[in-house]
Amino acid sequence: MSGDRTGGAGRTGLGLRGLGGGWVIPASLALLAVMLVLPAFIPPFFTGNILGRAIVFGIIAMSLTFLATYGGFVSLAQMMIAGVAGYAVAVLVPGAVPSIVGGVPYGLAIPIGLLAATLMGLLVGAIAVRTQGIYLLMITLALGVGVQLFIQTNIAWFNGYEGIRNVVGPDVLGMPFRDTYVFYYTTLAIAAALYAMVLYLVRTPFGLALQGIRDNVRRVNALGYHAAWHRIAAFGVAGFIAGWGGLLFTFYNIGISPGSIGLGGTVNILIMAVIGGLGHPIGAFIGAVIFVVFDTFAADLYDRDRFNTLIGAVFLVIVLVSPDGVLGLAKRAGRLFRRAPAPSPAEARQ
Amino acid sequence: MTPMPQTGAPALVLTGVGRRFGALAAVSDVTLTVAAGERRAVLGPNGAGKTTLFNLICGDFPPTSGRVELFGQDITADPPHTRARNGVGRTYQNSLLFNGLSVQDNLVVAVRGARPGRFSWLLPSRDDVAKARRLAETVRLGHLLDAEVASLSHGQRRQLEVGMALACDPRLLMLDEPAAGLSPVERPELLRLMQELPRSITLVVIEHDMDIALPIADIVTVMKDGQVVVEGPPAMIESDPTVQAIYLGHGRAH
Repeated sequence: MSGDRTGGAGRTGLGLRGLGGGWVIPASLALLAVMLVLPAFIPPFFTGNILGRAIVFGIIAMSLTFLATYGGFVSLAQMMIAGVAGYAVAVLVPGAVPSIVGGVPYGLAIPIGLLAATLMGLLVGAIAVRTQGIYLLMITLALGVGVQLFIQTNIAWFNGYEGIRNVVGPDVLGMPFRDTYVFYYTTLAIAAALYAMVLYLVRTPFGLALQGIRDNVRRVNALGYHAAWHRIAAFGVAGFIAGWGGLLFTFYNIGISPGSIGLGGTVNILIMAVIGGLGHPIGAFIGAVIFVVFDTFAADLYDRDRFNTLIGAVFLVIVLVSPDGVLGLAKRAGRLFRRAPAPSPAEARQ
Repeated sequence: MTPMPQTGAPALVLTGVGRRFGALAAVSDVTLTVAAGERRAVLGPNGAGKTTLFNLICGDFPPTSGRVELFGQDITADPPHTRARNGVGRTYQNSLLFNGLSVQDNLVVAVRGARPGRFSWLLPSRDDVAKARRLAETVRLGHLLDAEVASLSHGQRRQLEVGMALACDPRLLMLDEPAAGLSPVERPELLRLMQELPRSITLVVIEHDMDIALPIADIVTVMKDGQVVVEGPPAMIESDPTVQAIYLGHGRAH
C-alpha cells in the first residue's frame, strides 16, 4: 500500500473522505429537506413501513458503518447491541407483556436502554480489542449470537423465545408514537442527529485519531496515543448509535423477540451496510432503503418466500459491479462526468 | 507529568541492550551514549540491526536484555505512547502516514498525540491547527495542507514523516533513513531541513547514504551484525579501515 504518486499536488480529498468535500453538508441538508416533505406526497404505508423502517435499520447499520469507515473495524455485534437497548426498555416500561420489572417511565427507561447499549458496545470493544480482520468478525459474531442465545433461553428476565410484547413507545410531545407520522418524524430527527454527530465526531481529535488507527495503528501509538482505548471508545460510540436504533426498532415492532436480533438480523444489517457502501455514514441509510424496498415488495416482484434469493441477487449484483456499494457507484459516475483521474491508492485499499 | 530534563544528563543511554528474535540476535550488547543536543548518525549495512535498535529505543518492543535511559530516566519498560509523550519523536523507514486524511489532519493528529485531550470531542483548537500549519511550513508542505496524503509524492511523504515526528516537540528525534528513495533534488532539501533543527533537539539518524549522514553528524556509530563496531567523529569514520571493509565488502548500499 505504498501510496506513492507524483504530481498529485493540490488535489483535495476524493478518497475515503470521498464524499467528504465541501458539499457533504449542503447535500445532507437537501436530503433531509426532501425526507421532511416526502410524506406529503406518498401514502402513509410508504412513510411508515418503508421509509420509517428503513431509517430505523439505517441507524443500526450506521453504527457498523461508523466503525468500518473510520476505524476499519467490521463488527457483527451491532444488531445484538441494538437488541440490548430494546430489551432494557422492554423489561422496564409499564404496559409490556409480560411485565418483568415494569413501572419505569419511558423518560427514564430510554436513557437506561442507551446506557446499556453503550456499555455493551464498550464491552464488545474491550473483548475484541486485540483482534483485526476475520478474527474481529468472528469474535463479534460470537458475542452477538452468544448474547442472543442467552436472552432466548432466559425466561425470568427476557421471557425466552417469545420475547416481550406491547412495548408501544413513549408519547412524543403528547402524541402517541404509534401514529405513523409521529414515528416517522421522530425517527428521522434521531437519525439526522446521529448522522450529524458522526460527521462532527470524525473532525474532532478523537475521530481523527480513530482514522489514524484505521490507516496506521503503529504510527498512532508512536505519536503518544494509547490506541487500544480509542478503539474501545469507538465501539462505545457505535453502541450508543445502535442503541437508538434498537429502541426505535422495538417501538416500531411493538416489542422485541430474540429471533429478530439473531444471526438473521445481524446478516441483514451487514448487507445493508455493504450494499449502501462503507465509505460514508449515508451509505447505511441508502442500503437500508434498498433492503426494505425489496423486503416489502418481494411478494409483488416474485414470491414472498423468495425474498432471500432476491436480496441475495441484488447484493451480488451491487457488490460485483461496485465493491464499495452504491456510494462507490455514485463516486465512479461522478468521476466519469468530471473525467477525473483514476482512484487513488487509498480508495483501492478499501 | 513530563519530568524536566536533568541538565547534564545525556539524551540517550543504552546499556548492554540486546534483542533476540528466536535464535536470531538482531541486536546484541549495544552500549552507547548520545549527549543532549548531539547529532548522531547510525550507519551499517542491511541487516546490521539499525532499525531494530530504533524500535527498541522507541518502545515498539522491549529489549531482551539491557537498559534504555532517556534524559536520565529509565524507560526500558515503557510502551511507545508513553515514550512519545516524554518527547521521543520518530519517523519510519517506510513512511507510515494516515493515507485517508489530509496533510493538515495528519499533523493535527500528531500535534494532539503529545497533548492532553486525545479523546476530545471538541474540534481541534485554533492552537492545534496553527501548530499543524507551522509544522507543514517547516517541512515545506504549507501549500498542500488540504491534499490527501495518498496523493503525495514520495518526497513529500518523507517530509510529512519528519513533520509528524516534530509535532510532539521532541527532545529526541529519531529519523530512520529519511533520505531513502529521495531524488537528487530532494536530498539537499532534506539535509537543509535537518541542519535547521534547533540544538534543543537531539537527533539520531539512520542513514545509508554517507553524503547525508556525514555532514550533519557530530558522531557516527557504525553497526554490523547487531553490534557496534566503530564509533567516532565523521573524519575518523571515513578513514577507518573497518568501515571501509564493511562498505566495500558489501558494496555501497542504498
